[in-house]
Amino acid sequence: MNAIALNHICKSFGSFAIRDLTLEVPEGTICGLVGENGAGKSTTIRLLMNALRPDGGSAAVLGVDTASPEFQAVKEDVGVVLDEAYFPEVLSAAQVGRVMAKTYRRWDGDQFRQYLDRFELPEKKPFKDYSRGMRMKLAIAVALSHAPRLLVLDEATAGLDPIVRDQVLDIFSDFTRQEDHSILISSHILSDLEKLCDYIAFLHQGKLLFCEEKDALLERYAIFAGTADQAESLDPAAVVGREDRSYGGVRCLVRRDDVPATLMLERPTVEDVILFLAKGVKLG
Amino acid sequence: MKALLLKDFYVLWKQMRYFLLVILVFSALPGGYNMVFAVTYAALLPYSCVAYDERSKWDQLAAMMPYSVRDLVLSRYALGWIGGAGACLVSLVLQTAFSLAFHRAAAPAALLAAFFACVSTLAITLPLIFRFGVERGRLIMFLIIFLVCGSTGALSGIAESASNALPAAVWLVVPVSLVLTAVSVPLSMRWYARRSR
Repeated sequence: MNAIALNHICKSFGSFAIRDLTLEVPEGTICGLVGENGAGKSTTIRLLMNALRPDGGSAAVLGVDTASPEFQAVKEDVGVVLDEAYFPEVLSAAQVGRVMAKTYRRWDGDQFRQYLDRFELPEKKPFKDYSRGMRMKLAIAVALSHAPRLLVLDEATAGLDPIVRDQVLDIFSDFTRQEDHSILISSHILSDLEKLCDYIAFLHQGKLLFCEEKDALLERYAIFAGTADQAESLDPAAVVGREDRSYGGVRCLVRRDDVPATLMLERPTVEDVILFLAKGVKLG
Repeated sequence: MKALLLKDFYVLWKQMRYFLLVILVFSALPGGYNMVFAVTYAALLPYSCVAYDERSKWDQLAAMMPYSVRDLVLSRYALGWIGGAGACLVSLVLQTAFSLAFHRAAAPAALLAAFFACVSTLAITLPLIFRFGVERGRLIMFLIIFLVCGSTGALSGIAESASNALPAAVWLVVPVSLVLTAVSVPLSMRWYARRSR
């Protein structure tokens, strides 16, 4: 079963539109949603959670159509962290916990307190006095404390220091040890996604350019680094993106299967693939 | 809906202390206008909550949680009703105490009429707040103030002048407020859903 299935979703806001978005995240996997600012990542998440009504297409989460009345109950199984933690400013973490205990049927107060301890969040301090990192940690603690089967994370690690970010990524990774647990995470920190994700989905100007297994993606593409003359000798159809260096060298993202096997190539990072593709969108 | 009311209670807690003080002061002052004002003032509580929620963008987070549109809308009405009823109760207790201490006449029927005036005010103004939001609803806030002052003045006049006319006023304001609420809640739900999507 797919944890998430978006089927030909369209949503227009005039100058910006999500166009024919089809995306599937299999159960038990982690999918990273990548894209430039304004590419439509947050809009996709709002459409997915039925917080926005699509102009066309359909969406299903954990096998339930998001437009159906049954989806209300499915939200119990989904932990969401948005790009900001939008809790009322005057509430403390302890009060947030008490409100959530009446919101979610499977709210685990002990687990919530454990996360507060682990993230070193003061229980009595008002939310407005938290730093951005503390706010995001509180949002993550809430999302994890009601026994969700799916986590939907929109820039959830933004604002966290590297040590806490690493800790949080470990928590997310542990979360998917249970085979029916899944995560959709959007982030600009591509190294985090490379570490965490099974699938990478690339959204560019409201259109999904690809969604595929991270390992397959990194196998398909390679980095060629050489001189301009060497780069010119490559089959143009094999070159996905090219970057001229100031010292005269050239770096290209190439399709591994379309260049001679004898050519010296480097394994790309997810960041390499995304940056080259974002600059010169050329997929085949 | 309990979760949303609890959240609103926490949000308003600091303000509630001032609100209780206002009820205390206005109920202690002689004259029907003052204690009726305290009750109708309770109708403004949900607007404070909507303003706080808009500032923290709570609605965006709430849309991701298992709250129905019905819960999100009804909790605002319920907050106003609870605030109005609470103000009535406190005012009644104070009036009774003052009537015993200073031989001043209590006016429970005027309080009842004030409560239903508060319900009517909520029924008229909440759909507009759900439709336009607090920021764009400044004109609506003027309408609220006008309604509060108008109903308060009218009710105090009734309370002070004709004790016979008061039950009739209560009988009038009760069905009017119920009909208004029956129309208002579905309209608010429709406008809230449309605005948030």
